[in-house]
Amino acid sequence: MAKKILVIDDDPIIVKYLVSLLNDNGYETCSASDGVEGHEVLKKEKPDLITLDLQMAEEWGTNFYRKISKNKEFKDIPVIVISGMAGRHLSIKNAVAYLPKPFDPDKLLGILKSTIG
Amino acid sequence: MSTKILLVDDEEGIRKVLGISLADMGYDVITAESGEEALSLFEKITPPIVLTDIKMPGMDGVTLLRTIKELNPDTEVIMITGHGDMDLAIKSLKYEATDFVTKPINDDVLEIALKRAHERINMRLQIKNYTENLETMVKEQSERLIEIERLAAVGQAIEGLSSAIWNFAGGYEGGIQYFNEMPCLVAIHNSDLKIVATNQLYRERLGDRIGGDSCEIFGKKTSGQSECSVEKTFRTGKGQRSQEKIKYLSGEEVPVIVHTAPIRGKDNEVELVLEISADATEVKRLREELETTRQRHKQLFDEAPCYITVQDKNFNVTEANRRFKEDFGHGTIMKCFEIYKQRQTTCPNCPVEKTFKDGNSHQAEMVVTSKTGEQINVLIWTAPIKNAAGEITQVMEMSTNITQIRKLEDHLSSLGLLIGSISHGIKGLLTGLDGGMYLVESGFFKENREQVKEGWDIIKLMAGRIRGMVLDILYYAKHRDLKWEKVDVLSFAEDVALTIEPKIRTHNIEFIRDFDHSTGGFEVDPGIVRSAIINILENAIDACMEDKSGKYHKITFGVKQVENHIVFDVFDTGIGMDKKTEEKLFTLFFSSKGTRGTGLGLFISNRIIQQHGGSILVETALGKGSHFSIILPKLLPESAKAPHIDDENASSDNL
Repeated sequence: MAKKILVIDDDPIIVKYLVSLLNDNGYETCSASDGVEGHEVLKKEKPDLITLDLQMAEEWGTNFYRKISKNKEFKDIPVIVISGMAGRHLSIKNAVAYLPKPFDPDKLLGILKSTIG
Repeated sequence: MSTKILLVDDEEGIRKVLGISLADMGYDVITAESGEEALSLFEKITPPIVLTDIKMPGMDGVTLLRTIKELNPDTEVIMITGHGDMDLAIKSLKYEATDFVTKPINDDVLEIALKRAHERINMRLQIKNYTENLETMVKEQSERLIEIERLAAVGQAIEGLSSAIWNFAGGYEGGIQYFNEMPCLVAIHNSDLKIVATNQLYRERLGDRIGGDSCEIFGKKTSGQSECSVEKTFRTGKGQRSQEKIKYLSGEEVPVIVHTAPIRGKDNEVELVLEISADATEVKRLREELETTRQRHKQLFDEAPCYITVQDKNFNVTEANRRFKEDFGHGTIMKCFEIYKQRQTTCPNCPVEKTFKDGNSHQAEMVVTSKTGEQINVLIWTAPIKNAAGEITQVMEMSTNITQIRKLEDHLSSLGLLIGSISHGIKGLLTGLDGGMYLVESGFFKENREQVKEGWDIIKLMAGRIRGMVLDILYYAKHRDLKWEKVDVLSFAEDVALTIEPKIRTHNIEFIRDFDHSTGGFEVDPGIVRSAIINILENAIDACMEDKSGKYHKITFGVKQVENHIVFDVFDTGIGMDKKTEEKLFTLFFSSKGTRGTGLGLFISNRIIQQHGGSILVETALGKGSHFSIILPKLLPESAKAPHIDDENASSDNL
């Protein structure tokens, strides 16, 4: 069964880009444009991994991460940070990887393969 | 002289035998047959060594030991013990017996005990010597200290003399200033009115006159009633001052100022007279030099590229240089804070106040207002001005105009802020561009025309945004002077409308022109004002597009004349703004558009309009749309027409 990835980014173009890239490489996807929506989708879709933007219009990625890392059900879901913000990844302590924007798609796919197969 | 030893034993035999042995060893032996007898003898002769039996009838050896030690702790007491008296022997050691010897007495053992006693005596003597030496040393040191004190007293006397000389010098029209540089002829005269000593300059100018007549150099005869000041000093016992003429060896006759002072002997009689003569031609020259220096200082004071004031303890500006008078002068004495800050009390952290308190220089930075109302950033530096007694009577304040530097700094820091702020935006744009390219590529691969088109649209969108951002940055980075010209308002408005209309229509928004046809012409830099108004119109489109309700929208673009101003109006029916957004609208890098705005557009538009001496007004309500009024003067103010040379250099050099 294909693994499912939740893409969280407030820029619809980047969401579209990531979703297409992941679908093309055999992953299922779901998406959200901020932390609040991300939480709802997370509960509904139960993804295997999350890619997370940090600076977003509504709830920031850091806040979203803080919430899920306190939740037993979700705290073990691997998170890959994809953000333009330098240094902010430090607040996401257990992220699998930190990819600065603009990111290298092959690198992302490599990390995904080694993390969830 | 042989050492005395007191031998105490109740057995006569032992006294005899031991007495002989000790005498052989060179001691002067005194014997006693009981403790009581020993004690009375001890008090008389104070022998350094006592040799006593422990066990005796009456006062025993240990009691004797303790008593002797109390009387003279330096006495060495050796105990003689019988067989089995070990406890007593040890007890006696506790009472500081030197040693003990056991009966029958072996001479060698006795000798060792005595040797020990002697060592202890010697050691004590040495310690005593050291102590006494120490006392000598202390004594010597105190004598030296007394000598230093004495010298200090002499020093004070010399100081007193110099201050007296100082006063002499002051006699010549405030001549204190010249005295140090004044080449003086110094001579000392005795009561026989003969010269006994002269200084080098004296010898150079007047030759060796030691032994010569005191008054001769002044061309005066020594007589009972002469006018010669040396003689007068001897006669009256008071210092004299006079102006004389003397003839140098060179034949030159020069005017001199002569000061004399009596030097009194122990009996308070005038023994000697000190004569100091100063060449008045030198004084004149020095005075001229001083005048020139003063003028030079005055010039410096006036021309220095900063504001210089001298203030008293109440912050009254008592003196000021030309620049200060030009920009701040009020013609009357006013307080510093009144002039600079239009305040009624001292400024917090006033550097002048601090300098009055601690006598040090202080710095501060302030914004002051000139008499024409101009705001000037100044860097202030203060320095104390002290009187002769070393008290701070005034403080000098130098303020350098650093307005240009501050402007430049502001510009640079906002440029830094700009780069920080846009780098995040640019990263997003580049990622979006990557996304577009990926969609095109993957669409081609899958032969999915829909996806190729979608990708291509994203690329176009991103390219457009990057272009806009780069242009914004370029505009911001470069300050440009207005390229103003007289322009017909209506044609200008029509041109703007034509530019924006197609874009508005593609978004299915109605566009309405509302032009007043009697506006005539206005002075404007058409290129940049056009882009400022278009920026506001584009914002109006965005505001309509943000509304996802599918409601019908329209944008009205109007122009009219209100008194001496041309007003462009932009109404939209878009989402409007809340109060918070409205307040931050014109701040740099504020954007209500999330990742799609640079936060530069309105900031720059506002700056362009302000550069024209105009303003932008906003009326808005959330959900109801916005109304922007761009108000421009018909005739540009002169200040807007003049080129900003400094700004131009500042911005273009730093990019």
